[in-house]
Amino acid sequence: MTAVLELKNVTKRFGGEVALDRLSIALEANEYISLLGPSGSGKSTLLRIIAGFEKPDAGDVLLEGRSLAQVPAYRRGIGFVSQGFALFPHLSVFENVAFGLRNREDDPLRDGAALRRRVDEMLGLVGLADLGDRGTDQISGGQKQRVALARTLVADPKIILLDEPLGALDANLRTRMRVELRRIRQQLGITFVHVTGNEDEALAMGDRVAVLDRGRLAQISDPDSVYNRPESARVAKFLNCYNMFEGRCDGDGVFQTSGASLSCSPDGAGPGMYCVRFDKIKVTPAPAASQAAGTGIQATFITSEYSGPRITYFFRGPGEKVLEVEYHLSHQRPEEFSVGDEYWLSWLPDEALVYFQ
Amino acid sequence: MDASRDSNALSDGGSERATAESVRTEQAARQQARSGTSSARSTTAMLLAPGTIWMLLFLVVPMLMMVYVSFWTQKTFSIEPTLTVQSWVAFFSSETYFAALLRTIKIWLIVLATTFALGYPTALFIGLFIKNKTLQTIVLVLCVVPFWTSFLIRVLAWRPMLGKEGAVNIVLEKLGLISEPIEVLLFTEFSVVVGMTQIYVVFMVGPIAFMLSRIDPSLIEAARDLGAGTWRIFRTIIFPLSLPGVVVGAIFVSVMVLGEFATSAALSGRKVNLLGNIIVTQVGSLKWAFAAVVGVILTAVMAVVIAALLRFVDLRKEL
Repeated sequence: MTAVLELKNVTKRFGGEVALDRLSIALEANEYISLLGPSGSGKSTLLRIIAGFEKPDAGDVLLEGRSLAQVPAYRRGIGFVSQGFALFPHLSVFENVAFGLRNREDDPLRDGAALRRRVDEMLGLVGLADLGDRGTDQISGGQKQRVALARTLVADPKIILLDEPLGALDANLRTRMRVELRRIRQQLGITFVHVTGNEDEALAMGDRVAVLDRGRLAQISDPDSVYNRPESARVAKFLNCYNMFEGRCDGDGVFQTSGASLSCSPDGAGPGMYCVRFDKIKVTPAPAASQAAGTGIQATFITSEYSGPRITYFFRGPGEKVLEVEYHLSHQRPEEFSVGDEYWLSWLPDEALVYFQ
Repeated sequence: MDASRDSNALSDGGSERATAESVRTEQAARQQARSGTSSARSTTAMLLAPGTIWMLLFLVVPMLMMVYVSFWTQKTFSIEPTLTVQSWVAFFSSETYFAALLRTIKIWLIVLATTFALGYPTALFIGLFIKNKTLQTIVLVLCVVPFWTSFLIRVLAWRPMLGKEGAVNIVLEKLGLISEPIEVLLFTEFSVVVGMTQIYVVFMVGPIAFMLSRIDPSLIEAARDLGAGTWRIFRTIIFPLSLPGVVVGAIFVSVMVLGEFATSAALSGRKVNLLGNIIVTQVGSLKWAFAAVVGVILTAVMAVVIAALLRFVDLRKEL
């Protein structure tokens, strides 16, 4: 595959704050990239630099091999869908979608019939065929999202940048728009860059997931690799599905953390972070602990949270550390644990990930 | 797909229950309405009364009075309630007075244009280019600072500026741009327009700056991203969205300029007579009926102007 967009050592500072730190990333044609990162990781800045709303302090942005440094935002051919949709309030849905074709500097579309045909076609694609005459205050949040998308897509951009596109929608709509976004992208065969702070969304949407951390690219790979083999402890932390223990290992396959010794693979030594995923842990009553299978830690049950397909149990481990255990209910019924009792949380040493500093 | 399944589920199980529920609430509401109608009505009337009485007493009655008086008979130093169209005929048959009406409209249109031409760019700068809200407020307050001096002083200050030996002429002469002073600067329609523009431009700046500062910057970014250049964005997004501000500013300026008499009296040397000046003179010589005629005409002109301006924008929707 060919890189449609490439960022090379892009650096951006706001005052003294470094928003992007020599970031390099290549986006391929016809793929869905989700850009995951906590707030302040620079993901919105990255999007704004690609769109041309901000200038990088150093580094270069290349679109199909051409540098965009001297290309103003309105000539880039990159679509940007902002978080609040930014629909023009004084224009109808149809006029919003027609805006770019009508008003662009390069080759504006003057032919009324051709304009109408293209706008109608795009409104059809996003499922708003009958709403062209509505005002932007007469449609729902999900429909606004579609208008914003149609308005950008109608100009045939090479890339679409979506800044937290599902953030302003309610949960029900969010799930539906996920499917919609992927369908629309597949139909058009262009690259979507989807910025989100939500790890579920990033994993569900992206063909590839890029994880940003403090202005740097921490990892970029397929969702499965990001989820199962995060490249660093910080990536594991963003995924919000790992119990993490700080400590050190002396190369003997034993990881020493405050109040417990955990088994790990014997390669590697030094101070580090020991991570084990919520759903890899097995809970057994403390006295009857069969320590043969795997390694573990003793903890007190606090509470549980039921969320339909799964249940999350919260335990207090050594040093007041809160540990989470997740059971998927399609395979098991929820177990009853009594609050305040001691339990043995165990897992296989192979399932644990250890990151050395 | 999900949606259709959801709605099916709803209609299968819930529709009958929902219908029954809605019928019941409707009945309850109707019963409540029947018992509550009279008391609700009297409450509404009571709440409306003070405002209605105030407006009737101090707006509607005086205006009807003015129309009524305009048909009274004018004697030398008094008026009598004998109805006649004499004053109306006098107004429209006199070239002087009819010319004053046309001049008022002309000066109003010119001042409207100059206040807009000066006010819009100023508002654009304050409302759109100054991003800092505090700085925005400070600059807007600076625009109002001249109002801390009296109206008369602000108007009269133009005399030493525009006079034959005034500041403007001195500067132009010193620069060698003119060999002798320009005399038409003061005591002409020009000086009246200059004075009024300076005084009323701020009423144009305020509302426009307010509307401009409410424009979401992401709209401008979106337009830019969709390929529009600066001028296009201004024409298609910024200007239309600021239009309510322009209309409000135009209403302010119009109402004040149409009723003006002090600026023209002070800066025209009594050469430029506007409708306002005629009212002042006529009242001064106790010609009440005739003053009332001019008052009615002025009010009618203003009503037409405001109605026309409100045609442009639905202010209730915008503000």
